[in-house]
Amino acid sequence: MKRLFSILVVAILGLAQNVFAQNGVRASYKTDINIISVNDMHAAIDNMPKMAAIVDSLRAMDKSLMVISAGDNRTGSPVNDMYSDASFPMIALMNQMGFTCSAFGNHEFDSGLEGLARNINESAFPYICANIFADPQLGIQCEPYKFFNVKGVKICILGVVEAEFNGIPSTHPNNVKGIRFAPAEETIRKYMWLRDECDVFILLSHIGYDEDVEVAKKFPEFDLIIGGHSHTQIEGGEVHNGVLITQNENKLKKLTHTTLVVENGKVTGKSAKNIDVAGYTKQNVAAKCLADFFSSNPEFKRVLAQAETPFSSYEELGILMCDALKDFSGADIAYCNAGGVRYEDHPAGDFTVNDVLRLDPFGNSAVVVNVTGKQLRDMLIACKSQDSHGFPFTSGISCEVTYTDKQQSGVKDLKLFAPDGKPLDLKKKYKVIANSYAIITSDVPGEDQGEDINALTADILMKYLEKVKKVDYKGRKCLKEIY
Amino acid sequence: MIVKVNKEEVRIFKGASAKHAILKYILMKKMDASSLDSIMVFDSKGHQIGDDAPLKEGQSITFKI
Repeated sequence: MKRLFSILVVAILGLAQNVFAQNGVRASYKTDINIISVNDMHAAIDNMPKMAAIVDSLRAMDKSLMVISAGDNRTGSPVNDMYSDASFPMIALMNQMGFTCSAFGNHEFDSGLEGLARNINESAFPYICANIFADPQLGIQCEPYKFFNVKGVKICILGVVEAEFNGIPSTHPNNVKGIRFAPAEETIRKYMWLRDECDVFILLSHIGYDEDVEVAKKFPEFDLIIGGHSHTQIEGGEVHNGVLITQNENKLKKLTHTTLVVENGKVTGKSAKNIDVAGYTKQNVAAKCLADFFSSNPEFKRVLAQAETPFSSYEELGILMCDALKDFSGADIAYCNAGGVRYEDHPAGDFTVNDVLRLDPFGNSAVVVNVTGKQLRDMLIACKSQDSHGFPFTSGISCEVTYTDKQQSGVKDLKLFAPDGKPLDLKKKYKVIANSYAIITSDVPGEDQGEDINALTADILMKYLEKVKKVDYKGRKCLKEIY
Repeated sequence: MIVKVNKEEVRIFKGASAKHAILKYILMKKMDASSLDSIMVFDSKGHQIGDDAPLKEGQSITFKI
């Protein structure tokens, strides 16, 4: 009887604790909340099995361990980003690891709204973001905030994503067409009432370190800010105005283990330490199998287009790459540095994903700049001066370059021609696109240095090949070289 | 946009990462670009940041090889 009574008391207390926590009545005992947080993993598939092993060992000590991502889970590895269902590999690994939730990072939008909606459906964890406004029909299911009941402690997580790129996150504008974003700080202020509804108040932020510090100064109500976006390596955690801030460098080199001590409904202690993921020697076997499976994916053999004739020069392949850039952006002219074209022949027949990744392996993004014909001429000469592989390849113009000598150590003269064969108007302004490396080495004149359009050049080429289906560049020239 | 690399102004396209700005700085200074493979990048407060870290107007970074 006594035993039955004890069981009943424990059960009632447990139930009460649960109900109280859910209803916002503060937990009245002392407990530790353990959180593993990561940010800007950027598809670091290779480190996921190591992270999973770390999660295993901490979960063995605390089965209520929370595993949280501050966003930018994707974009950084073709294994993940070029998968037929882009980003599914990372989501599968995050599901396997039992993530509690994730913020949206700006790169979560990189496959457009349709891709994001699919990724959300595939995720076994919720996304939290308060400053996004999307029509429900778009399928961008996320919650502005979410309550979690952990060991009877009521935890509220509020999420925000950066929107500093013309009022939208840093992704290609087409990727977020039809949705609206509000400034993070304004949004946070709107949700401060949540402080009174929980024991632990966490901001899951993808707005960057400096902005997190500003938020901490203005909103000391937060117990913890789990940050991302700026790839800032914080040693353990930093306390600003009483708020603990954590963040790590990108690519899952490290993660943060945060412990919050909660006593009588209040956080009475907090500490954070980094765990070295890249150097961790153990791996979770299931996660390793998944990572290996995705890495050996037959997707890389996927045929994008047919080469009707063989490619037999760097120039032909360079023109193809430039045509893709020009087509993607609607620019007047495209160019790429000669060293950015990594092989010079390709047989007739299949042009696969792997062929594109071998041709353009650097992860360059595309940059658009508006310059005059004269400025473009100077840029091409500057680009050549930094590239021992040769003169840049182009689309939308052809070039006649006269070198100072056979070794191409200098350019004596450069003439640019429009597609109709007439000299390019050097006074006219043109919209020009090139890969980020070529733009940097081109010494763009003036204040307008252009804008990264948040699209990888390899990705652009794949989309172009899939669009045109057949390519024939035999004998195509964009360059006449005179010595 | 203008950012500062090792205290010197660098003009770079909007949306550039730390690595982009450092490459531009290295070219400006006629340094060996292959050293980019082994750089450590820090923000203005001394935190290490990833070389892919996005930069914003006016941001200051330093790097060590």
